[in-house]
Amino acid sequence: MQPAPSAPSSLSVAADEGGDGIALRGALGIHTLTQAQSFTAPWPGKAQSRTLDISELSSLDTPGALFLCGLRDKGVALTGIRAEHQALLDLICALELKSLPKKAVAPRWRQLVIDLGKGADDAWHDTLDIIAFVGRAASATSHALLRLRSLRLPSISRHVEESGIHALPIVGLMAIMISIVIGYQGVAQLRPYGGQEFTINLVAVSMLREMGVLITAIMVAGRSGSAFAAEIGVMKSREEIDALTVMGTDPMELLVVPRVIALVITLPLLTFFSDIMGLLGGAMISRFLLDVSPVQYLERVHQAVDARDLFVGLIKAPILGFLIAVIGCMHGLRVQGSAESVGRETTRAVVKAIFVVIVLDALFSILFEKLGL
Amino acid sequence: MNTRTRHHTEPILSAKDIVNRFGRHKVHDKVSLDILRGEVIGIAGGSGSGKSVLLKTLIGVRRPDAGQVIVDGKPIDAIAPAEKAALIGVLFQQGALFSSLSVAQNIMLPMREHTDLAVEDQERIAAMKLELAGLSADSGIKLPSELSGGMVKRAALARALALDPRILFLDEPTSDLDPITASGIDALIHKLNASLGITVVIVTHDLTTLFTICQRIALLVDGKITVGTLEKLRRSDQPWIREFLHGPRAQGAMTPREKYGNG
Repeated sequence: MQPAPSAPSSLSVAADEGGDGIALRGALGIHTLTQAQSFTAPWPGKAQSRTLDISELSSLDTPGALFLCGLRDKGVALTGIRAEHQALLDLICALELKSLPKKAVAPRWRQLVIDLGKGADDAWHDTLDIIAFVGRAASATSHALLRLRSLRLPSISRHVEESGIHALPIVGLMAIMISIVIGYQGVAQLRPYGGQEFTINLVAVSMLREMGVLITAIMVAGRSGSAFAAEIGVMKSREEIDALTVMGTDPMELLVVPRVIALVITLPLLTFFSDIMGLLGGAMISRFLLDVSPVQYLERVHQAVDARDLFVGLIKAPILGFLIAVIGCMHGLRVQGSAESVGRETTRAVVKAIFVVIVLDALFSILFEKLGL
Repeated sequence: MNTRTRHHTEPILSAKDIVNRFGRHKVHDKVSLDILRGEVIGIAGGSGSGKSVLLKTLIGVRRPDAGQVIVDGKPIDAIAPAEKAALIGVLFQQGALFSSLSVAQNIMLPMREHTDLAVEDQERIAAMKLELAGLSADSGIKLPSELSGGMVKRAALARALALDPRILFLDEPTSDLDPITASGIDALIHKLNASLGITVVIVTHDLTTLFTICQRIALLVDGKITVGTLEKLRRSDQPWIREFLHGPRAQGAMTPREKYGNG
């Protein structure tokens, strides 16, 4: 067998017509199959009288052999088969060739209904799972708090550092940016009425009551919720969770509780930091757009908001922190088997945590309104 | 049958003075290896001896710190991607099947990328490759996550064979498999080499695979490589090689050799 030409572009197969038969020349392989098919395409379905001479073929690969076997089954006589090609033909023709099974395809409208039903069912089970896991995590956490010995302080402090201290720069920057955005919109909308001074009230109230905690919670859900899901998920996929259980250590106590406690501590602190940075952003806006000096700005802020506004914002933080941690850990523990699953659960944890944060914030707004706070 | 012995003199791939280092640690110290047309060669070595790094270098995924890999007369970096795909097929250790595609789509991917075949032809060829690798065409619609360990190896082998490569690299083809499935894979590799004339490079520490289907063995010891037939290597007095080829496990692996006529 002479070595096949190596560049696919230089491969070619040619045919010499002669009476009822064709003689193929060149390399018959996966790159020249379409060419070869074009030579035999005009032949009728049952081509008993046809012959195909392949003695001039320089090389033959398995798709080529498959093509020749197909012709042979149609009744074409293959002539001039060389010894090395014979072995290949024997191998391929002897295979029990079935076609790939087709997937059952449902009509589009039915598929839509099926997806809708499945989605609703999944959402329902997800909700039940979250409620159950929130319960388990709350019980494990209170258990740990009652028996202080089982509280893992080093682990908690590590998570406080990772999800809190390391998040300070980004949370601060986001708070300043958001307050600048609100400030600009406020000035633009209020100026026609001569009330641009009220921009300061707008920035201060919305940062303290809503935006500070919301921005921080979304940031933490993206940073720490995903980190929790991925860390625990990788442990789960490498059977480390099973190893913990076998060694008589409760994964809830070792992995979930420290993370939950850490976020419950961290999120209010981060929220407070973000409130301060937001007010700082407001000061910058006032200085440059309203010509209000920082001292005057502080006075205005003092008139506009009181401690109640600050606490309305801060009170939400531990609850949101608890839920972000619980959702992250829950999805981490849901990982099954492969690395692919870790990625999927991490994405779900983040999406769900942000969703829950926003829904809860809306509910809190209604609640505080009703309570007259 | 003996078409393959005819080609056993010219190298299809040669690695020249390969040096790979991680930091200060030299994994390969001027390793040279010729892989001959049509042979089955086994690359073995202790854990951490750089088998996988050598494989990555040979298939052009890792650029060596020094030295060169020549495939079919050309440096591996200079070969165009489409041409390389037709030249080299790799069965990765974990299969590396694309998890979002079905088994058949996995096999058809290189065909879709590098040939102009109609979809029906691609499907017919994919079914044939599956049969060739010892799987039924019915498993074509399964996702990789639905396959058992042995089936993953076979499906990945079918994908490695998709473009009828001239050299087939197998990374630990029998690891994590039960002995029956592992023997099945050995027999399959032997059959592919004998009937398709494909050159096979196996990275393994499965002694049975090395002793039964490999015509030559390359052993990586302390950053150096020793190549030879099993008989020659068994006469070596290098301590690690003696231990490797004469230890208790090696005694057991010597028995099934006759079956493949390599004795």
